[in-house]
Amino acid sequence: MTAVLPTRRIEEWKYSDLARALGDTGFGEDSARALVGPIAQGIDVFSLDEPNRPEWVKAQYGKLPANSVSAVSLAKARGGVALRVHKNKHVEAPLALDFAGRGHVRALLVLDEGASLTLVERCDPSETRNAGFEIVLGRNARLDHVRIAPNSSAVQVEEISMTLAHDAQYRAHFANFGAKLSRLELAIALQGEGAGVDLSGVSVLSDSSHADVTTQVTHAVGQTQSLQLFKKVVGGGAQAVYQGKVTVMPNADGSDSRQTAKALLLGPRAEADLKPELEILADDVKCAHGAAVGDLDADSLFYLRARGIPEKNARHLLLHAFLEDAVQGIANVDLREMVRGAVARALDEVTA
Amino acid sequence: MLEIKNLHVAVDGKEILRGLSLRVDAGEVHAIMGPNGSGKSTLSYALAGRAGYEVTEGSIMYRGEDLGALAPEERAAKGVFLAMQYPVEIPGVTTMMFLKSAINAQRRARGEDELDAVAVLKTVRKKAAALNVSEEMLKRALNVGFSGGEKKRLEILQMALFEPKLAILDETDSGLDIDALRLVAEGVNALRAPERAMLLITHYQRLLDYIVPDRIHVLAKGRIIAEGGKELALELEAKGYEQIIKDAA
Repeated sequence: MTAVLPTRRIEEWKYSDLARALGDTGFGEDSARALVGPIAQGIDVFSLDEPNRPEWVKAQYGKLPANSVSAVSLAKARGGVALRVHKNKHVEAPLALDFAGRGHVRALLVLDEGASLTLVERCDPSETRNAGFEIVLGRNARLDHVRIAPNSSAVQVEEISMTLAHDAQYRAHFANFGAKLSRLELAIALQGEGAGVDLSGVSVLSDSSHADVTTQVTHAVGQTQSLQLFKKVVGGGAQAVYQGKVTVMPNADGSDSRQTAKALLLGPRAEADLKPELEILADDVKCAHGAAVGDLDADSLFYLRARGIPEKNARHLLLHAFLEDAVQGIANVDLREMVRGAVARALDEVTA
Repeated sequence: MLEIKNLHVAVDGKEILRGLSLRVDAGEVHAIMGPNGSGKSTLSYALAGRAGYEVTEGSIMYRGEDLGALAPEERAAKGVFLAMQYPVEIPGVTTMMFLKSAINAQRRARGEDELDAVAVLKTVRKKAAALNVSEEMLKRALNVGFSGGEKKRLEILQMALFEPKLAILDETDSGLDIDALRLVAEGVNALRAPERAMLLITHYQRLLDYIVPDRIHVLAKGRIIAEGGKELALELEAKGYEQIIKDAA
């Protein structure tokens, strides 16, 4: 199998120059790791570098359509983890998944029918890495996913590809604080009626950081829902990218899709490239999309300062307020506070 | 308390205030009345220090200090308060969180100890009840979904909390029905004090039925063209601005 990294000549990589960020060494031949734990009862774990894959891994691993980076990780990764939550199993405590080390790594997460899980994903910022993550949500399964990507001076790429069966629900929040090059790509197929995704994300970027979130949501059948809300605060000479493509297939009537991306630029060198896109091949659908790039509202800033709040704190408060509606949807209180804390620290930096 | 001399203020290079002079002493309530476009809001923004309102000539002295050199937050900490005509809505920041930030920012600037959440809550609750500001309003995002009356009540609540020495009320009566106006006026009257000066900026005489000023100044084309006691408001109401401006010319 040949797997070649994308160049900027490919439209989806126009705003993220992977080859340049990687330099001559590329991702290398190393194998990164996926660490999980603690494992509750009712969850199977299999380490992908071991022989004798069980049937459920054989049946699901490497089966979802992959983009170019994901194809590379599939071809080259030796390490990784496969997880499966059993039918109707509700896992209470959040399960941690940490990608670490340098190189390519894979993960597979299967939620059987009626299973539910909260996944908290953290990305080790110290090394350049390419993670390919497949998620399969069975009928009526429910996954809550919070991903926190701290600021990194390395190249961090991850592709999540996912299918949702009948009535499956995926709620995710992606907090991203930038990297030399950071790319998170989501390829989501809503394949069963009643399936829905609710995606939100925040980026707070300073200096020369880069963060690219690219989503492709396909409404393959009708009565499916996708919500997307991405908010970005961009300072210094940083660059935020959002590319979101929603496709409603023929006969997927009753689909409901909304995507919103907004960015605030804090200086003349900051850049935001927001590109929501809709392709509707069905008739009876509700779809809306919007994008806006702006600066802090002068009336609001004056109001707060006239109440005695110093300019720096007033900016911080308004930036917090701008991001808050993307953060408040995180269902798990502890994780929500964790993201709020990380956002507050990043805002301290960007308003300093 | 406040002494404005020959004040010229330009916005986007256009001169709006053209030689305004005014003196307000502690314990006094003055009203500035004027038609649309006379410079009323420019005066209030210039006093509060809004960016873009450039003092090109003259001076604003407040308690012996030149206000022109101070940032808006410094003016606030020194006791200048502007109740705004259009309070801004800030989704994502609760009213309570905003009040706590503002109270503590002012205290910090004055070198006082910050209040903890419980102390702020206690103070706010006590003063909120008198102005019919509910617990529920305090929990909501700042001014988001508030009615005109609720927004203005929240402005007066802030005035009660910050205890300013100089309060400027910009068109506080606009958008209020009679009941809301009465409630707001009662709140303002309760804050009249020997150590406090107030400047009411208004287009209509109506507000002055409820908050009776010591002195009235008529503003037109960026200058004070007439001055008098509270009876001047009635004369304005009877004759209209045009006649008064003609009389003054």
